[in-house]
Amino acid sequence: MFEFAEWLGSTPLSVAIQSRLWLTPLLQTIHITMIGIVFVSMLNVALRVLGKVRADEPLAEVWHRFAPWFWCALGVMAGTGLILSIGEPVRQATALSFWIKMSLIAIGVASALYFGRTVSAAATAADASYSGRARVVAVATIILWLAIIFFGRSIAYDVEIWESWHLA
Amino acid sequence: MDLTPLVEAAQNSALSEWMRMSLKAVAIINALHIMSIVTVFGTILIVDLRLLGYPNVKRSYLRMHHELLRWTWGAFGIAAVTGVLLFMVNAVTYHRNTAFWLKMATMVLAGINMMVFELMTAKTAPSWDKGVPPPNAARVAGALSIVLWIAVIVFGRWIGFTKGYDFAIPEDVQFDFSLPQ
Repeated sequence: MFEFAEWLGSTPLSVAIQSRLWLTPLLQTIHITMIGIVFVSMLNVALRVLGKVRADEPLAEVWHRFAPWFWCALGVMAGTGLILSIGEPVRQATALSFWIKMSLIAIGVASALYFGRTVSAAATAADASYSGRARVVAVATIILWLAIIFFGRSIAYDVEIWESWHLA
Repeated sequence: MDLTPLVEAAQNSALSEWMRMSLKAVAIINALHIMSIVTVFGTILIVDLRLLGYPNVKRSYLRMHHELLRWTWGAFGIAAVTGVLLFMVNAVTYHRNTAFWLKMATMVLAGINMMVFELMTAKTAPSWDKGVPPPNAARVAGALSIVLWIAVIVFGRWIGFTKGYDFAIPEDVQFDFSLPQ
């Protein structure tokens, strides 16, 4: 893995990204605004389940309001994240926070896909108020996306956060 | 007004010293700052887009404002506290940093935009609360708010890349930003 990262870092594409000093801050800024859209989209759906926003609107409608924003912003994040990673592959591969973040994103995306497929059928049945279990899942979803942001920022501080667990 | 003594006092405080010496404090505070600022941005964006009549005007503006802005303000409070802490860690260099002051100035502009809107345009909100296009004043406030908050994030990220030094570092000079052991 680290050999691959070192090879990737020496490719002309990676060097081209590294040599444009304005590119990294620009991509990071886009990446940050997009996580705002991704997180707050999910936050709204979760808060709907908790009855804190849009309680008059069916859950499926709330999901359909925010799903396009969630997926589009996530797509832009994947694109900017990929270019940033190609620009600094060794830093990413040696950061434990990076791998935790990727694992959590896999969980977040899988659960969003599953939720999107099942929301219409499940929501109409129990739209007035949600069970304790649904509420726990809603809170867990908020925590999951906050954790993704936390570990995303932690990549830059991997040694400080993880000390000997850092992968280099 | 010369803020230098205040800035130096902030940087020399025991709290600031503790954050610099702690391995994890700055990293964790920084992550909390990002978590809260993206929440501020995302929740305000929804309200701003509603002011622009997007994606539609079916939902009550006042209800949306009431339901979302409590999260915005909660997150803003955390962003402000963590922001002050991060400033204190390196107050003297941030104090001289152009990107830092651009970020502060942009936040002041965003605040003025919000106050003008809340004190004037929002008073008429019941007449365009739902089902009708918002007035031009509301659209302008919404558009300005989106642009200004994106600019806050741009300048915020910019601070991290200038490291508080507003001059070009000569190529053969190595700058060591790590702390003395």
